[in-house]
Amino acid sequence: VSWHDILNLFQGVSTLLVYLGKKGVLEPLLMIPMGLGMLAVNAGVLFLDPTTAAAVTETATAPAGTQGTLFVAPLVQKTDNLMYLLQIDFLQPIYTFAFSNGLIACFVFMGIGVLLDVGYVLARPFLSLFLALCAELGTVATFPIAVAMGMSFRDAASVAMVGCADGPMVLFTSLMLSKDLFVPITVVAYLYLGLTYGGYPYLIKFLVPRKLRGLKSVPGKAIKISSSEKLAFAVVACAVLCLLFPVAAPLFVSLFLGVAVRESGLHHFTDFISSTLLYGATLFLGLLLGVLCEAGTILNPKVLMLLVLGILALLLSGIGGIVGGYIVYMVSGRKFNPVIGIAGVSCVPTTAKIAQKCVAEVTPDALILPEALGACISGVITSAILTGIYVTLIPLIKVTEHL
Amino acid sequence: MGTTTAITSALMIYGIAAVISMFVAVMIKALYWALQFIQRKGKKQ
Repeated sequence: VSWHDILNLFQGVSTLLVYLGKKGVLEPLLMIPMGLGMLAVNAGVLFLDPTTAAAVTETATAPAGTQGTLFVAPLVQKTDNLMYLLQIDFLQPIYTFAFSNGLIACFVFMGIGVLLDVGYVLARPFLSLFLALCAELGTVATFPIAVAMGMSFRDAASVAMVGCADGPMVLFTSLMLSKDLFVPITVVAYLYLGLTYGGYPYLIKFLVPRKLRGLKSVPGKAIKISSSEKLAFAVVACAVLCLLFPVAAPLFVSLFLGVAVRESGLHHFTDFISSTLLYGATLFLGLLLGVLCEAGTILNPKVLMLLVLGILALLLSGIGGIVGGYIVYMVSGRKFNPVIGIAGVSCVPTTAKIAQKCVAEVTPDALILPEALGACISGVITSAILTGIYVTLIPLIKVTEHL
Repeated sequence: MGTTTAITSALMIYGIAAVISMFVAVMIKALYWALQFIQRKGKKQ
């Protein structure tokens, strides 16, 4: 197989991504810019002039015939080379100033914060957070499995985060812990997130019998949560979590800033964050992920392992969520629909919608969406907590291992 | 050795996540009760 065949294969894959995005099989907001970026970067290869080639390869003199593109040079570290390439590669400024430091992930998280109604969590905090915690099974269990398969602690933690089904978290963790593998890990995460919508209903049907799927949950005492209470929660939770995990503070402040803006009634900010900022960040996130999918990067031998571990993490998280649903079902005296548990896998609001859809197929008038959204939003909070724990503790465990 | 450390670490990480999540849940309840108490006191005055 020649290099030319591999590039052709990548162009085929990227065209397929655009097609599946258009058809709605995968998330179109990400897949269309990503597919197009991947197509362009693998097609637009040229022979670099000696100065640019030396900057990209970070050597004094580059060998003749060095190939490259005018998109982005992600591995360049020396300041002089970086300053030179910022004037050459058209996406380098966005990559350097917004992507490699996690800013774009924070923008997306801010957008998620504006879209979240934390009232669902505040109405039933113990139930929602318990289900979300159970649905983090894959995020935790995949870590030792990845280590057993020969990955380093840092790479294993990054790929395990796919189990939380939250793209910005995976991006942030892999940027912090696993710079060499962050492109394939994030691409795998976003590809699989698109597939949860298609795959989780089958998991629900396999694990929950029809009779239980149609169960109408008995609604608890209705608690009305005011916007002041939601704002107070955002302020206190932000301060506590930033205090506990300073390394993940950018993520926490972004999420709770979004919540605070929404609950303060700042309509101009809400409109800006939920439309321009969120969609602008998503567009450039997709495009940059595609552009970073150069054949040389994606053909890393570890990618096959990442594909297996990523799907395993999401599968385990789904199973964990349903097991959590069963536990609440038993504890509540069989008055709780166990399907709600899968909504604990964050992926807001996809998993909550999947749970409601599966229940409505059996009992059309059953409404589980409020409980499911509570678990789903709690999933974002537990995912952020796990990101904080991984990013803080894994480097310390690595040090102990060397000792 | 690495796998044993990883399993121990995973259990520890899950434990820490559980403690912090339940702490957040307790904090939410406490905050809710505190705000309700303040509101009731405000109405009485």
